[in-house]
Amino acid sequence: MKAPRIPKKILGLAFIFSIVIAALVVARMLFIPPSFGKYGHYRADAVNEIVAQEINYAGYQACMECHDEIYKPKERSYHKSVSCEACHGPAAKHVEAPDEFVPGAPRERGYCPLCHDYNPSRPTGFPQIITELHNPGKACMTCHNPHNPVLPHTPEECSACHREIANVKRISYHASLPCVRCHTVPEKHMVQPKFVFAQVPVEREFCGECHAEGAPGGPDIPRIDLDTHGERYLCWDCHYPHYPEAR
Amino acid sequence: MVELIMIHIQTGLKDITGYIYPNEFELHWGLLIVVYPYLTGLVAGAFILASLERLFKIKVLQPVYRLSLLSALAFLFVAPLPLLAHLGHPERSFEMFLTPYTKSAMAMFGFVYAWYLMVVLLLEIWFDYRKDIVIWSQEKKGIMRFVYKILTLGATDLSEKSILLDNKIGKVITIIGIPSAFLLHGYVGFIFGSVKANPWWSSVLMPIVFLFSAIVSGIALVLLIYMVSTMFRWKTMNMSCLNQLGELLLYAIIVDFSLELLDFIQRLYESEESIHILSQMISSRLFLSLIISQFILGSVIPMISLVWARFGRVPDEMRRMVYFIAAILVQVGIFSTRWNVVIGGQLFSKSLRGLTVYKIQLFGLEGLFMAGFLLILPFIILYILCKLFPPWVDSEVKLH
Repeated sequence: MKAPRIPKKILGLAFIFSIVIAALVVARMLFIPPSFGKYGHYRADAVNEIVAQEINYAGYQACMECHDEIYKPKERSYHKSVSCEACHGPAAKHVEAPDEFVPGAPRERGYCPLCHDYNPSRPTGFPQIITELHNPGKACMTCHNPHNPVLPHTPEECSACHREIANVKRISYHASLPCVRCHTVPEKHMVQPKFVFAQVPVEREFCGECHAEGAPGGPDIPRIDLDTHGERYLCWDCHYPHYPEAR
Repeated sequence: MVELIMIHIQTGLKDITGYIYPNEFELHWGLLIVVYPYLTGLVAGAFILASLERLFKIKVLQPVYRLSLLSALAFLFVAPLPLLAHLGHPERSFEMFLTPYTKSAMAMFGFVYAWYLMVVLLLEIWFDYRKDIVIWSQEKKGIMRFVYKILTLGATDLSEKSILLDNKIGKVITIIGIPSAFLLHGYVGFIFGSVKANPWWSSVLMPIVFLFSAIVSGIALVLLIYMVSTMFRWKTMNMSCLNQLGELLLYAIIVDFSLELLDFIQRLYESEESIHILSQMISSRLFLSLIISQFILGSVIPMISLVWARFGRVPDEMRRMVYFIAAILVQVGIFSTRWNVVIGGQLFSKSLRGLTVYKIQLFGLEGLFMAGFLLILPFIILYILCKLFPPWVDSEVKLH
């Protein structure tokens, strides 16, 4: 039996497609680096090239070995999570030859604002300044020790650190109450806020001092029967006292 | 330089409302990424229109069959250019063919594109034009004769059996082509729809909405090209073909508009936490491009005018005028749709607390002029294609 003849046009197209596919195969052979795909979808040799690069950073453990008199207080300070080399620059050479290479320290005013200049995206309470207004001309280190940065004087108001809460409270029904009406604030909280905490109310009766039936105060204050309202729940399970809608 | 950047940031900051993250100030996907889905949409739409004639035998569409194929091809040539200009380093683009990475939809685009170009469009056009090319390779003189001769690929058989085979293969390619066209443009919608972190994009309806808006824009484009080209050739327009195009355009707009409304209503009803910032964005930043341009100018007015022109007692001349204006409005509307998706998705902060602004640059690889050039380029390519392969019914070679 005679095999069916393949039309010329199909042969022509097949020829073109095979050229394209062959070109792709050849290009793959020529252009794909031999180590491609060994570990994953990348050139395995790239890993070795990166490994072979010169090491510039020593890591804070290396600094700690000789400079523990600086490291110890820093470890307990606000800058505990800032690595030494973040300010002093790469110091691997210093570890190898301590006397020949001494890492620098930024002493000019421009450096600290990299982190501490005002930027609304920074977390609430993060110490920020407007550089142009904050003691112009003075180097930061005149007042602040970068290895144990504490404020030269304690903040006078809670809003200095708790600005977001203060902003919300300002337009809430509790605007006229000072923070210390509800929170007990130990003196030390102003100096070491991460170690000594301010206290929050823990009992329903505390809110009841103003909001229970028969409590003293003007007629505008909402009043409830503490025995029946909300049963076993705490007041702030439902009413967040800093929010304006806390009714 | 630093001062320049500061001035740029300060003038930009004035237009920001609320709170945004620092890395949201600059939009990373600009005007060219608006142009890209717009162009691929036109390709898919024009091809789907062509396949209606071929597959579903809507014979009145014959005058625009070849024209829509060539339009699809011209726009397909340009479709990846906005991406190349946006990414920079076009010389690296071939690498994604060499080391295909199946886990990334963006990395697979090259294959979707190559499949559509090589297996669908070029083949379909070649099989459709083969008999014409053979005849032209015998009739034309000089260099054109040589060009056509190469294009025949040596297949000069014009027997009835051979032509029949051409038609059959063409039909099979069209059948493969429709899902491929869906894939090509559905893919673009998929890219946006699968960005989970962005509430404006993340929607399973996205590929489908993209697809139907593609069909709308494709039909409107072919309608425009047909009207303008017929006018410049001093020929009379085929009114039944135009009526059919108008009718198809109307149906496509209705489906597209309903899908978009459905998406909108669903979002409103779900009322996720993003709804406040999104509604704020719609009523301020996107008011002009979404409410006015996309909904009113691009959907409602064309719909009403097409119903009136197609089904009312309207003289032909008026009808043509309405079709023409409706098709232009549809193009404006669909371009706005792309704008609203791409730019809109980056105007609100992921903190859901603020809105930023987008300012188009004029010059440069991603500027307004580049976008304009990329939108004009397909028409230049189409003009050359039409000179090479005249798509008009009166220039088609008749055998037997």
